[in-house]
Amino acid sequence: MKDDRKSKPPLLANWLASKFINEALLEEFFGDLKEIYEERIATRGKFYAKCMYWIDTLHLMIGFTSFNLFKTQNNPTIMSKHYLIISIRNLSRNKAYSIINILGLAVGMGVCLTIFQYVYFELSHDRFHNNFENTFRITLDENKNGMDNLRATTTFALGPSAKETIPEIKEYVRIHRQDDATVINPDKNEPFKELARDMLFVDKTFLQVFNFPLKLGSKESVFDNKFNIVITEKTARKYFGTDNPIGKTLKVGGEFSPGDFIVSGVLEELPINSHLQFEFLLPLEHLLEFANFGMFKNSDGWSRNYFMTYVIIDESANLDLVREKLDQLIVKYKGKRNSNKNVVEKVGLQPLSDIYLNSDVYSRSGYVINKGDVQNIQFFSIIAVFILFIAWVNYINLSTARSMYRAKEVGVRKSIGAFRRQLISQFMIESVLLNLIAALLSIGIAFSTLPVLSQIIGKELEMNVLEIPLFWAGFSVVIIFGALLSGSYPAFVLSAFKPVSMLGANKTVRAGKISLRKGLITFQFLISLLLISGTYLVYKQITYMKNQELGLDMEKILVLDGFDKLMDSTGIATIQAFKTEVTRHSSISSVATSAKIPGKGYHQEVSIRKVGAPESENKNSSVFWQYIGIDFPETYDFEFVAGSSFTQDQSNRNDGLGLIINEEAVRVYGLVSPEKAIQEKLIISGKPRAIRIVGVVKDFHWHSLREAYTPYLFGFNPRRVNHISLKINLSNIQESIAYIKSTYKAFFPDNAFEYFFLEDEFNKQYQADVQFGNLFLAFTALAIFIACIGLFALVSYSATLRIKEIGIRKVLGASIGNLMILLSKEYFTLLLIAAILAAPAIIYWGGSWLENYAFRINMGIDLLMIPTLTLLFISLLTVSHRTYSTAKTNPVDSLRKE
Amino acid sequence: MKNKGLGEFEELVLLAVCILDKEAYGLSVKREVEKHSGRSILLGAVHITLYRLQDKGLLRSEMGGNTEKRGDRRKRLFTITDAGMRQLRAAQDVRRKMWQLIPQLKLGL
Repeated sequence: MKDDRKSKPPLLANWLASKFINEALLEEFFGDLKEIYEERIATRGKFYAKCMYWIDTLHLMIGFTSFNLFKTQNNPTIMSKHYLIISIRNLSRNKAYSIINILGLAVGMGVCLTIFQYVYFELSHDRFHNNFENTFRITLDENKNGMDNLRATTTFALGPSAKETIPEIKEYVRIHRQDDATVINPDKNEPFKELARDMLFVDKTFLQVFNFPLKLGSKESVFDNKFNIVITEKTARKYFGTDNPIGKTLKVGGEFSPGDFIVSGVLEELPINSHLQFEFLLPLEHLLEFANFGMFKNSDGWSRNYFMTYVIIDESANLDLVREKLDQLIVKYKGKRNSNKNVVEKVGLQPLSDIYLNSDVYSRSGYVINKGDVQNIQFFSIIAVFILFIAWVNYINLSTARSMYRAKEVGVRKSIGAFRRQLISQFMIESVLLNLIAALLSIGIAFSTLPVLSQIIGKELEMNVLEIPLFWAGFSVVIIFGALLSGSYPAFVLSAFKPVSMLGANKTVRAGKISLRKGLITFQFLISLLLISGTYLVYKQITYMKNQELGLDMEKILVLDGFDKLMDSTGIATIQAFKTEVTRHSSISSVATSAKIPGKGYHQEVSIRKVGAPESENKNSSVFWQYIGIDFPETYDFEFVAGSSFTQDQSNRNDGLGLIINEEAVRVYGLVSPEKAIQEKLIISGKPRAIRIVGVVKDFHWHSLREAYTPYLFGFNPRRVNHISLKINLSNIQESIAYIKSTYKAFFPDNAFEYFFLEDEFNKQYQADVQFGNLFLAFTALAIFIACIGLFALVSYSATLRIKEIGIRKVLGASIGNLMILLSKEYFTLLLIAAILAAPAIIYWGGSWLENYAFRINMGIDLLMIPTLTLLFISLLTVSHRTYSTAKTNPVDSLRKE
Repeated sequence: MKNKGLGEFEELVLLAVCILDKEAYGLSVKREVEKHSGRSILLGAVHITLYRLQDKGLLRSEMGGNTEKRGDRRKRLFTITDAGMRQLRAAQDVRRKMWQLIPQLKLGL
């Protein structure tokens, strides 16, 4: 009980209790509840106490309201008690039916809840900052020759001069990100490679603008020195174990801002619903002063848009006015340069809580790696509503199908004087009861499906909507609305029957139109077919991509990732010695250095032409252009069509670092044929000299198969070493890795030893596709389940209607097989109709999805056939039990009472 | 429904009220019964039983004694009536008589 404010018992429970329990009793009950609540918090924790509080309150409510009921003798109360008893009896008498019905509803509601939780989580991003409503990110809309380019980054100088000249802007913070770096705790001597995205260079005001609570250190003074560094709890554990990290040193390597930093603060674990995710905070000052990057300060810091700038704006300020003032600032300092380049820049203010969901539109998304997707949220919400609706409709279907059995009961009730109103309320009470049970179950289902969803989307979600009173209010409304909606149809239909028709010999009861239900089943079939087909398509494409020949040999390649060392001539010699040493091991056949490895690196827009061509023939296209070491082509098994790999003596040649290109480059730059290309030189804009082509290799897949073949140019440069690829024998991996590690440690003691198998890393490019496929699979399973319930309802209903017909057929000699076919036939017609309807949709959506992939499978008839057969099989299973038991009934039973 | 004897739980609750002597209210009765019987009981069950016993005239109650722990709410303190005492005794007597009728041999086991 360290915090009194937090230990308040659930108010909603109290409110509910006050509505149901006699006021005279309340004081005493609340007293007892409060006392026991405090006791439970102290002994068993808050969650347990809350749960028990609810249980106790509900128990008291039930106990003391029914207590009153027993004592009152007026008719309506007795009747409602009677309805309740009848409902419970009905539910327990037809157990299979009740279970299916409740389960269907519960699954629908549970999934709805899960999705609701997900959507709530997505929308909750960055709302934990105290000032989130007044915090904005400055964005830029760069209009060049009528073409818009949105960016989320601004110049270095905009933030400070905005704070100085615009009174509405109360505070600003700039964030910058550099490059990967090796970080080491000098006392432990165990280096780790840290990714650029985890290291943010920030202004001193960072912790004042954002609420990331510090576990150690004070937020006013953590950045007092430009050699201070703030780390997260996790990182503190990684580098310092259980020691107190404050005042200790961390050595940060890397090209851009190396130095010894003193830990001045440790942050608590960052909330997962923050768009900023990082491990280290470094002072921006340090970067500006020591980094090899004077260019930030060019033109007083108004030249390059490299910084994310966040501002806190006074809540009474007029945002349009602030934006205008920012525009004027830019015109004042950059206007001339912009107009020379024909560029117009307009400022935007993006609310903090909007950043997570809307960052993709910006070409430089401002280092936001934790991004959400609005479309995803919409897609999910639609699915949720759809599922809930289908679940209700199924409930209607099942209840009307069951109503046949209730006809007699209704008849008797009516003939001894029940009003229609009473019958309606009886069915309504049943419906409410059923919905309530389903709702309770659905909470359990939501709890068990949330981990599945968490796994699919890769984030640990918690069921925290349950803590919001407003949610419960909404949930109750949904339950009551659902109960009324789904209960009203059977209630009104059944109560409208004439008693004679229900009790007489010729029962001609037909509840509702069957065509409506058939339509619904067809619709459910259709959805299931589309989903199955979608799942099948996604998985087939992924398998195709993973199994395709890449043209590069990645299977046996182990990549050392932690390498970051400034390369000079001694560095090159060390690398060379390392290569020689490591290949001594029998299972390591070759070693290559490179700036990037397959699956990594980006295309750039570069203008290139061959020597001799006029400048107008410059091809301005997307090119992949990287430096590799001499052994790279051999290690990756480049397949040369013409020319050859680099040779050792080339490294001494004056003009010739040399260039290896792919066939696509031959086509794009008009080099006629691979053989002819060998003679040519390429002029690459920004490079001082034309470069000679030494080899042409067959086209290969460096990136995922989403991307078409583009020109790939590899230059020779032994100094650019970010990755070391080793081709190893897979028979004794552990031993080989141990050997590599010890050699590596001997040569590069201050570099981190981090490695991965290239094939695994390469396949990570398909992670999003796999996620998408898994989501599809989940919804497919769900849709099939719901469709099966609907189908079961319809089959039960029509089997009951035709029980006499079946009796007669049996008497006349029909076999069980005949009858089963007779009963199931119509559903397969429906399935067929659904399949026909599904075909164009599959072709359309499947085709447009596949268009995202440059290399894709062909759409065949299997895309329709396999889902149809799957669904056929599943529905056969669903239907057969019911049809079999109907077909087996003794004709005597069904015909006797005519 | 009167004079039908006491249910097992009712008897436990009545006994607890006697033990607690003027300090018997919902929560303390719950604790007392839990302590002696070793099972866990819902608060509501105790309340319902207390009120039922009061309706039967075996208990009487008054409000009193607020503490801060309860958020300054008073508790309803139950005390046993003469009728309640009689019922308890009667229940005890019935049992004793029946115990005495069990053959000695069996008791030894």
